[in-house]
Amino acid sequence: MINIKNLEHTFAIGKKGEERRIPVLKGITLEVKQGEIVAILGKSGSGKSTLLNILAGFMAPESGSVKVNGQETSALTEADSAAFRLANFGFIFQNFQLMPGLTAFENVELPLKIKGLSSGERKVLVEEMMRKVGLTEVAEHYPSELSGGQQQRVSIARALVTNPPVLLADEPTGSLDSETEQEILQLIQALNSTLGLTFVIITHDEEVANVAHRQYRLHDGELMKGEKRHAV
Amino acid sequence: MQFKDQVDFIRQHMKRNKLRVTTTILAAMMGCAFLIVLASVGFGLHKTITDDVLDNRKVTEIEVPSKVESEEKITPAEVQTMRNIPHVEAVVERSGVAAEAMAKIGARSGYVNPILSDLKEEQKAGLALSEGAMPKKAEEVVVGYHFAKALLTDEEREASEEQQSENGFAGSLIGQTFELELTPYEGEAEPASWSFTVAGVLEEPAKDWMSDGSVYLDDSWAAAFNEKLGTGEESKSISVYADGLPSVGAISEALKDDGYYVYSVTEELGSMNMFFTALKAGLIFVGTIAVLIASIGIFNTMTMAVTERTREIGVMKAIGAQPKLVQKLFLMESAAIGIIGTGIAVVLSYAISMLANWLVPIIIKSSLGEQDSEGFDMVISLIPWQLVVIASIISIGVAMVSGWRPARKATQIDVIQALRQEL
Repeated sequence: MINIKNLEHTFAIGKKGEERRIPVLKGITLEVKQGEIVAILGKSGSGKSTLLNILAGFMAPESGSVKVNGQETSALTEADSAAFRLANFGFIFQNFQLMPGLTAFENVELPLKIKGLSSGERKVLVEEMMRKVGLTEVAEHYPSELSGGQQQRVSIARALVTNPPVLLADEPTGSLDSETEQEILQLIQALNSTLGLTFVIITHDEEVANVAHRQYRLHDGELMKGEKRHAV
Repeated sequence: MQFKDQVDFIRQHMKRNKLRVTTTILAAMMGCAFLIVLASVGFGLHKTITDDVLDNRKVTEIEVPSKVESEEKITPAEVQTMRNIPHVEAVVERSGVAAEAMAKIGARSGYVNPILSDLKEEQKAGLALSEGAMPKKAEEVVVGYHFAKALLTDEEREASEEQQSENGFAGSLIGQTFELELTPYEGEAEPASWSFTVAGVLEEPAKDWMSDGSVYLDDSWAAAFNEKLGTGEESKSISVYADGLPSVGAISEALKDDGYYVYSVTEELGSMNMFFTALKAGLIFVGTIAVLIASIGIFNTMTMAVTERTREIGVMKAIGAQPKLVQKLFLMESAAIGIIGTGIAVVLSYAISMLANWLVPIIIKSSLGEQDSEGFDMVISLIPWQLVVIASIISIGVAMVSGWRPARKATQIDVIQALRQEL
């Protein structure tokens, strides 16, 4: 499903003209199979967000290859990359990244609008997804009227509504209390087992990483294989 | 994204920033309304002057005062040649009488203006009658619309001098016989009188202030008048009549090529049109400056919108929105501001134009007084559809251009940076 090979990336620091290049990713190689939950654990500054940004196509790596479903994504144009994301990825962000001016329903509907679906088609899909994540009651609420857990459920519904094969989650419970964190993690596991979705979770939290089938630890730009938790 | 959803998206954003968007629309509206109203004054003055030119004369008439290179009179043979120019309907030779002319019916009398002309040619040229018919005999004449009003009794004349109401001849003039007494301006010949019968009365002149006390006589009378009064041969004015306004230009050119001076409505309108086209272009240019000033407001609004929505744009791009879609949404928003502003501006401009056309003549008339403002008929402001189209294109175009840079900026927003922004 996802094949990352010899991925390298550096960042420039210092004044213009006197920059130093700091390596953030050093020859990362990773394979994620379909239906797997893979967690990338790492401390702040370990390079895990850079890895996710490259995987999502938000930035291009300096060298190496990223293949998703056999498609090389590291050299796509901005427009092609956006189209690829729309078809293949769903995103779950730490701070939910919901549109404050849209209701929960409209937030979930947004990717379908971008995709160009008719309002009738959208209504069916969004209602189904809202039901799956248990948000039917608050569909007409704005994000500011929802709890953190509900907002993250909206974010998950938005990520799933286009039926992408891969979900990329960046600290999905980072803004939640422990009780809500458990709810969200259970939801991720349920979605994985019932829908067979592939998850790549970036986190610093061991407890979050524990839902994964496989864990990797990113330290100073190097990926180290963690323990295999359980079979897919 | 479907077009309807794009429109909904923009509407939602505009609703969220109601105050800022409203003030920007107001600025765009004021700029566009200023452009339309300013240029409408040019169009209004052009219409006023054109109407004035067209009302005072027959538009198909081409006056031929003389030859260009010689002072010789135009001969009957040359007049005949003019008649053979394609699209010429008639060529009329008119001359006056070098004598004071007084018409008398019973106790009523009044000074009139005798015109000797070929009445058959006049008929072909379209001399329009309000009543009666064209003369069939030499003793029959056609008189001007105000001929009857010029015939006053002594009492009426005194009342007229004291600026009281004047009556003139009442009833129909058709079939009435009057005496035409001619007193030569020069020489020692005695005044002489001839009797004529009114066959027709001309139409009322186009302008209220014009008075037509003319008497159209058959030009065969010229010899009789000259013999009795010794007035000599009066110089003739020659007018060529085209079969329609479109032919006037070509006939004028043909006459010029034949060596005549010509003066026609197209000559007058040609130079006038050039002046007014330049004036209107100048006014539109000045008005466009106001639109450009308004565009600064649109630019600011859209730049702020992009800055404020950086995180939202980042999210949209992250979940798969194409940079082109983001650009289109912002361009559509600035175009919407331009379109709404222009729509209101057009309605407002028509209202201002109507108000100006009603109010300004009242002010001018009240400052000129009753007498001086008689016949005052002026269009202050005129908004033709072409002006609306030009102003709309300029306003909406400028709005879109001013939204272009912020829209480009929106497409260049870095997703990673945008997602890092705090809510």
